[in-house]
Amino acid sequence: MIDSLCDRAEEENIAIAGLYCDFLARQEQTTINIMGAILKQLVGRGDVPKDVREAFQKAKKDFGGRGPRLADLMGMLRTTIASLPRVFICIDALDECLPEHLPDLFSSLRDIVRECPKAKLFLTGRPHVREDALRYFSKAVVIPISPNLDDIQNYVDMKLDRDPEPEAMNDGLRADIMKVILERVSDM
Amino acid sequence: MSNEDAEIMRWLSPLEPNNRHQSLRTDRLGGVGDWLLDMREFREWRGSEDGVDKAVVFCSGNPGAGKTYLR
Repeated sequence: MIDSLCDRAEEENIAIAGLYCDFLARQEQTTINIMGAILKQLVGRGDVPKDVREAFQKAKKDFGGRGPRLADLMGMLRTTIASLPRVFICIDALDECLPEHLPDLFSSLRDIVRECPKAKLFLTGRPHVREDALRYFSKAVVIPISPNLDDIQNYVDMKLDRDPEPEAMNDGLRADIMKVILERVSDM
Repeated sequence: MSNEDAEIMRWLSPLEPNNRHQSLRTDRLGGVGDWLLDMREFREWRGSEDGVDKAVVFCSGNPGAGKTYLR
C-alpha cells in the first residue's frame, strides 16, 4: 500500500510517512518516538526546516542535549505539513503498541488531522483496537481485512513452484494442497 | 547529508521505520492486496481534497489476515 502511494507520490508531490508497530519494539515505540519518526520521514525529503534545526540546536545546549518534547514535535509537524502539498501518514499494527501508549498516540494523531487538513491517516490494527480508534476518529472509514482467496491462491502457487523437491509433487497433490488451504482460509 | 543533519534525524527519533519497510517490500509477493487499492473507500480516502471527513481510514482484521502484507 505504501509503495503504491509512493509510486504516484513524485508526480503528485505527496509526502508519505509510514511506521510499522512491532510488539518486540513496543517499549521504544512511544508517542514521542513515533511522532518524531513521522516528522523525520517528512523532513528527510529535503533540507532540514529552520525550526527543526533551531529546536535541535537549542535542545543540544540544554542539559547537554535532551530529546524533543511532544509539544515541540507537534509544532514542528504542523509547520512541516503546512509546507507540503499533501501528506499521508500510515501506521500499521496499532495493536502491537503498549496499551498505555495508545491514548497519547491517538490524541496526537487526532490533533494533526484536525489542525492540518492536508494530512491523511491510514491505520491498521486488530479488531479490538478499532473501537479505541473510533473513539478518537468517529468519522473514520473502517475497511475490514480478511484473507483474499485470489491472493492466497497466487501465494500457494508461488510457494509450490519453488518447492525444493519438485519430484515429490504431482497435479493431484497440488490440487489437494490448494483445496485444503483455501477451505481453512475461508473459515478464518 | 551533513553531520548535523544526520544528528538531527537521530535526535528526532531513534526509530527507523524506513528499514522495516525496505525489508517488507523485498519479502512481499507482488500483486497481493491490490484489491484494497481498487476499493471505493480507499480511492476516496486517497483522492479527497482537504476533507476532514474522509481523512482517516482504519483497516481492521484478525492476526494473519494480511493487514501488513503476505509473504
